[in-house]
Amino acid sequence: MHELSICQALLNQVNHVAVDAGCEHIEKITIAIGPLAGVEPGLLASAFAVMKIGGCAAQATLIIESDGVRVECAACGKVSETAANRLVCPACRGYRTRVVAGTELRLMRVELRAAVCARSVN
Amino acid sequence: MCRHCGCSLTPESPGRVVEVIQDLLAENDRIAAHNRAHFDEHGVLAINVMSSPGAGKTALLEATIVALKGSCRIAVIEGDLATDNDAVRIRSHGVPAIQITTGAACHLDAQRVHAALHELPLAELDLLFIENVGNLVCPAAFDLGQHRNVTLLSVTEGDDKPAKYPVIFRASDLVVLSKIDLIDVMDDFDPARAAAALQGLGGETPMIETAVRRTPTMTAWLDWIQAELRGRAGIYERIPARGPLSAPISSGVGG
Repeated sequence: MHELSICQALLNQVNHVAVDAGCEHIEKITIAIGPLAGVEPGLLASAFAVMKIGGCAAQATLIIESDGVRVECAACGKVSETAANRLVCPACRGYRTRVVAGTELRLMRVELRAAVCARSVN
Repeated sequence: MCRHCGCSLTPESPGRVVEVIQDLLAENDRIAAHNRAHFDEHGVLAINVMSSPGAGKTALLEATIVALKGSCRIAVIEGDLATDNDAVRIRSHGVPAIQITTGAACHLDAQRVHAALHELPLAELDLLFIENVGNLVCPAAFDLGQHRNVTLLSVTEGDDKPAKYPVIFRASDLVVLSKIDLIDVMDDFDPARAAAALQGLGGETPMIETAVRRTPTMTAWLDWIQAELRGRAGIYERIPARGPLSAPISSGVGG
């Protein structure tokens, strides 16, 4: 359940974005989680639903993008999609591969709600 | 224009999209880099030891301390959910052990390790083991500032674990098949199948065998550590004048 720690880091980051923009409400948060990030998207979404309460992301929806795993082969040079637990080159079976996509665990963008001037609602 | 105070925002303003593109663990990674700088400043090799619960991490570290105590100065940071049993075992061999009790948390993170570093005499050490919480999932996501990751796979587990837990095994610099002295009674564990599952993750991660109880098998493990210590010493010799850390960690993250 390290998703709780990840969720806290996410909320800290989006809070900074909102404060920097002078905004109190976040509409939508988009993050990218690769299959090799070691984070379970469903668990992170559950943690987010609870931990967002009371903060500037209380009304925010969380969008989780996942791009799949791709490896680049040192032998044949090909970049191929593959499974998270099968990281040898699908093309030539070479085992000297570099993971070029699939490890990401990133905050991509934050959509701030149309700001309401504090004095206009008083 | 807002009618009430003249600011540029109105209730009808469209939402703003801020492109961020920042790693969610950026703060952990920043502290991990700081920890690594601490280790480098003092010429300490830091090894993060991971496995499922009961694979024999503490027993391997005890045997390692006994074997290397005369030739190198060792300390251990122990991660444990609830007890200090492992730290007590390590201390009984006369080396410093700092206990981090994680409570409900299933992994160590860079900040917890940073707090523990300040209780260790880094200047008097050559080798620091960080024994992570027994878990093959969560510890893999957090950089602690270590130089090397070692993951134990005991022969009392399934030999397909590298395929089941690709993140942690792919992050490993060395995989240790522990309790190899039990292999004769664990007839469903095939070291060749474990090696094949590991090779399926790409790369050239070596796999060695250890045992610490009935028929001790430690040579390959101790050779690997000695080679890593020599490698690190070589790196430090090439940087003769190491100044003090230039970027002290900010307050509020463990000091």
